[in-house]
This record gives sequence, structure tokens and C-alpha cells, in this order.
Amino acid sequence: MKRAPVDRARALVSAFEAGILVAAVVLCACALLPSPARADDGGSLSTAHILDAMTSTLRLESVTTRVSGYDQYGHGFQAQGGPTAMSPGSERLTVFEPQAEFVMSQGDRITHRLWLPADVVTNASPDAIDVMSSASRHVEAGSIDWTTTYRANRELELAMRNGVHLENPFRSWASGLGVRRSFADDGTVVAGSVLEVFDWFDRFQIDGHRVDHTDRSGTTGSVSLTQILTPTTVANVNYGITVLDGVLGNTWNSVPLASGGRGPELLPNRRIRHALVGRASQWLPWNGALRLYYRFYADDWGIVANTMEGQLLQRLTPELYFGTYYRFHRQTGAYFFTTLAPLDAPLRVADSDLAPLDSQTIGGKVVMDFPMTGRVRALHLELECERYVRTNDLHATSVSWATGFRF
Amino acid sequence: MRVARRGPLAGVLLAVALSSAGCASVPQNRRARLADPMMNLTDEPLDAARRQKLYDTREGAAGGDGAAAGGGCGCQ
Repeated sequence: MKRAPVDRARALVSAFEAGILVAAVVLCACALLPSPARADDGGSLSTAHILDAMTSTLRLESVTTRVSGYDQYGHGFQAQGGPTAMSPGSERLTVFEPQAEFVMSQGDRITHRLWLPADVVTNASPDAIDVMSSASRHVEAGSIDWTTTYRANRELELAMRNGVHLENPFRSWASGLGVRRSFADDGTVVAGSVLEVFDWFDRFQIDGHRVDHTDRSGTTGSVSLTQILTPTTVANVNYGITVLDGVLGNTWNSVPLASGGRGPELLPNRRIRHALVGRASQWLPWNGALRLYYRFYADDWGIVANTMEGQLLQRLTPELYFGTYYRFHRQTGAYFFTTLAPLDAPLRVADSDLAPLDSQTIGGKVVMDFPMTGRVRALHLELECERYVRTNDLHATSVSWATGFRF
Repeated sequence: MRVARRGPLAGVLLAVALSSAGCASVPQNRRARLADPMMNLTDEPLDAARRQKLYDTREGAAGGDGAAAGGGCGCQ
């Protein structure tokens, strides 16, 4: 009975796969077409121009830091440590998440963005008897992500991104390319990107014993169109596809079995995911703005989701505005999701993230931008609080603070 | 599921609407409102990354918005 939505999702997937390949080729061809010459343009993709730009000195344009904290409560059947083997275990955790971003220019054409996010997670399933009880009592993780953008001319930008993620039982490398082409004085912008991610991590048994190493890869492609519709309205539509291959679980999540006790998750070795996103911003006459977001998602594991978000922002002074937002997300579950699996099930998962669920987020933020004199041209401050609630026993509260300097 | 079926249709309609609107260009000197940071289509990059991670690690259907997708299966 649960197979029907999967078949529909797979049919959708096949059509999209063909479409995205054509779209990516057309986009790249359009982006590289010669554009009409301009008096102030003078750009090109020649080696001499690129090398000339690279020999310029670096100039720091901005530094932004953000510190966020999460406090999460809940239970999930993938975690052990409940009152019985059949009971869901704790998903209680706290997260401390500092980030830093440095933006540097190198001449007139090259911009570098260095992004350094980190995570400190504590109290993850402290009472569990699985690997979470030891490996995740205190986990520290960090990434280095470097994106270089080359502006070939007023209309065309090329970007290259590379990153590495380090975590106790986990390593990940990412590399990607992007192209952005504007038309009609930036009234229309078409962009596309590809990103390849390779993960290499330890494989565990559900009782916490480390077995060996394993891996997976993910390839993501996306195309987007942004259009200024009126002097007060701008909109964007984006389509992305991700193909994941390899071991797609963390290897220590478990599934309650009908025969008693628990067994490991059994997952497919491939997952193809599609997301179609629409965004719009509308200026409001009372110095405010309304931002709308809609996302449709489907994958070949049978998950179909709809997500909607609205943000209402109000400017109080030239330096200060505040905003409130509400997000609603509804998803169906993976076709092999279960909280009590028969022993002979070829696929099984009890992860509460893959269950049918609704989630709601409500939040607010205050943003300040002060002009400065001297070396620092502007100071950016932002405080944000939000509450996240999921229908299958999970809720979290987060607070985030950002400080930015523009030079 | 009725809402789910309408999702791709809504996306196609939005794309068509955006494409047709591209024929009428808004001149630079009438874009002052659009320059306000409140009008940005996406959040400030570090805030967007924070929120993306919040959802990626709690919803199996998160991700794929032009960034690396994952979540819900230990894929982060």
C-alpha cells in the first residue's frame, strides 16, 4: 500500500533527471556566450586577465561572526536507552555553534570567501547503551570552506568552492563550481552550480563497537532564475538535484525488531533527491517587507514534502529593523520506515527524521547596521531567537548572535 | 497528497511568471527599495547556514535548495 507514492516519486525523478542535464548544459552555454561590449567593461576569460587579477594584493572587505546555541528535547526510535528495547530513546542535546566569515577582494575581479563553521554537541543520548553514549557525549566538529569568485565582466561571474570537514569519526571533502550570468542590468540573473561531496567515516555496530571505515558521495546540481518583477518586488525560482551513493546511514542507528531486541538500519545504497524552491520579496508601503518561501521536495525513498515560510520585517530607523517569521513543513515518511520491523524486512529504518511529520518554526530577530568612521565603515549586529517544534516528539529552542565589520 | 501533487505545478507556474516578467525591465534608478537588506531573498549567509543545518539534521526532506543536501540518514 505504501509503494504507490514511491512509484509516483520515481516517475517524477526520471523526468527531472533528464531535464536537469539539459538545463545545466544550456545554462553553461548561455553563460559563456560573448556579451555586448561596454565602455567600462573590458573583462574577459583570457589567461592574461585572470593572472593579472590574481597578482593583486588581498584586501579585507568584511568579517562576520555568529554564535548560536540550541537546546533540544525529544525521543526517537532510532536511539537506544529508553525504558525497554522497544521504546524510543532520548534525543536530548545541546549545541554550541560558532561561525566566522572573512570576505576579501583581490583586485577588481576576484573575491574570496573563507567560512569557518564549528560545532560542539553535548549530552547526545547520555543514557543510551549504543555508540552515542560514548562517542557523542561531547563531539567537536569544524569545517574550512573557501569560495573564490572571478568576475569576468559586468554580466558573468564564475566561482570555485572547496571545503573540508573534520569530526572525530568523520572526514568530508567538498568541491564545486558555479556560474552566474546577469541580463538587463541585473534585472534577470541566471545561475547554476555543481557540488561534489565525499564522506569517509568509521562504521560502527549498534552496540558501539567500531568495525572499519566506509564512505559515501553526494553530487548536487542546481539552477536558479532571479527576476526583478517591479520596483518593489523580486522573485526567485531554484531547482536542485542531489544523488547520494554509498553507506547512507550513520551505522549506529538501530531499529526495534518484532522478534524482540534491536537490529541495525538497512538502507538503500542510493538516494536521488529533488527540491524545487520559490522565493519572493515584496516591499511594503510602511517601510516594511514581506518575504515568502515555498519548497517542494521528492525523493526515491518515498518522501514527499511541502515547506512554506513567511517573514514580516519592519524598519524602525535607517539603522534598525526587526522581523518575525513562521515556517511550516510537512513530509511523508520513507516507504521502509517502521518502529517495529519484521526480521526478514530487506529495508528498515526507525529514524524519526525519516518518519511522516509536521514541523513548525516561529522566530524573531533584531538587526542593526551602524555607519562608522575610520577604518571600519559599518558595524552589523543581529540577535535572533526561534522555537522549533516537531509532531513526533522533538522540540528545540535556539538563540543566535551575529557581529559584523565592513571595511 | 493533494497539496504534494500541486507542488511541481506551482513551481512551473512561478517559473513561467518570472520568465514572462523578464520582458519588462525595471530601470536602475527605480530599484532603491530593492537595495534595502530587508528585501534580500535569502538570509545573511551565516544565518542561512545555521538554519539550513537546523533543518537538515532534523528533517529527512530538508536540503537540496541549491546547497548540498543531506540529513535524516546520518548524511551530515
